[in-house]
Amino acid sequence: MAGDARVAHVAKAFKYGLKGITGYLEPAERELLRGLLDDVISMLEPELSQNEDPLTALIGLDMNVKEPSDRALLRLLPNVMKNDDAASLEFRQLTERSLREGKIGALRAAAMGLDRNELVLTPEEAKLWSMALNDVRLVLAERLDIRDEADADHVHAMQDWSQAEDVESYLALVYNFTTWLQESLVQAMMASIDRKS
Amino acid sequence: MTTTAAPGTCAATDIGIKGEERTDIAEQSSTDVLSAADIPWNLVVWNDPVNLMSYVSYVFQSYFGYSEAKSNKLMLEVHRKGRSIVAYGGKEQVEQHAVAMHGYGLWATVEKASSSGDGRGRKGGARG
Repeated sequence: MAGDARVAHVAKAFKYGLKGITGYLEPAERELLRGLLDDVISMLEPELSQNEDPLTALIGLDMNVKEPSDRALLRLLPNVMKNDDAASLEFRQLTERSLREGKIGALRAAAMGLDRNELVLTPEEAKLWSMALNDVRLVLAERLDIRDEADADHVHAMQDWSQAEDVESYLALVYNFTTWLQESLVQAMMASIDRKS
Repeated sequence: MTTTAAPGTCAATDIGIKGEERTDIAEQSSTDVLSAADIPWNLVVWNDPVNLMSYVSYVFQSYFGYSEAKSNKLMLEVHRKGRSIVAYGGKEQVEQHAVAMHGYGLWATVEKASSSGDGRGRKGGARG
């Protein structure tokens, strides 16, 4: 797992206060996040099959579903059993569609909140934001080939935007930004739980 | 939404989970049907280098209603040992937990309580 990420940004860290959980993002940062959220949404949107049984679709079944070949998508929609592909596939047919829809819902909720610089989140919105940021980070981490803690540390060392000279270093900086943002959000959510209990 | 349980109520939550299980088993034995639901299954959460430690602990607190101390302990076990059994119960119940974990972006699998190397189970022993 990744630890705390400390890095200076124009954005302000999420915090918990009288107005609830609040944050602040510059327009460029909001654009960046919107793009990331949209990318993950399009990865998760199920392909519409031509001859799908409308009833099975209605109750959330998907008999044509397969284990994703894209590693990032497989990380978002993992097998439910470690050493039983057949049972995992059967489970996937029953659950994957609603899992995709739930994730898309959280990503859309976060994207919709990006219409102004000041973010004020209800507890439910904060939860959806934290889930959406997590999925964005999981996809970025696959693209950056983060396989172990050493890889994560290597990416984490990239903190200077003036060093962004290629796609990989740019992705690393984006990953570190979303890590920092999610960490501050989770801390604010924890503070709000402490305050209420 | 995130305050499903106050810190310190983890014992009560554990009892709640066991209680549900017992109800299931009671219903089944009343119709003399023994099924796979009687075999305890474990929900396993695996380590990965991406998920934040704070977020994993938040998910355990928020979803299972575990105390902060218990959530941190389980989170550290995932981090240090590579995996942790964070809940157990009937198959359908732990499968439901697994989908919820996938919704949060945690890497979770289900397994029969006796099928893994450390298959004693976190709390499986308590069921004797």
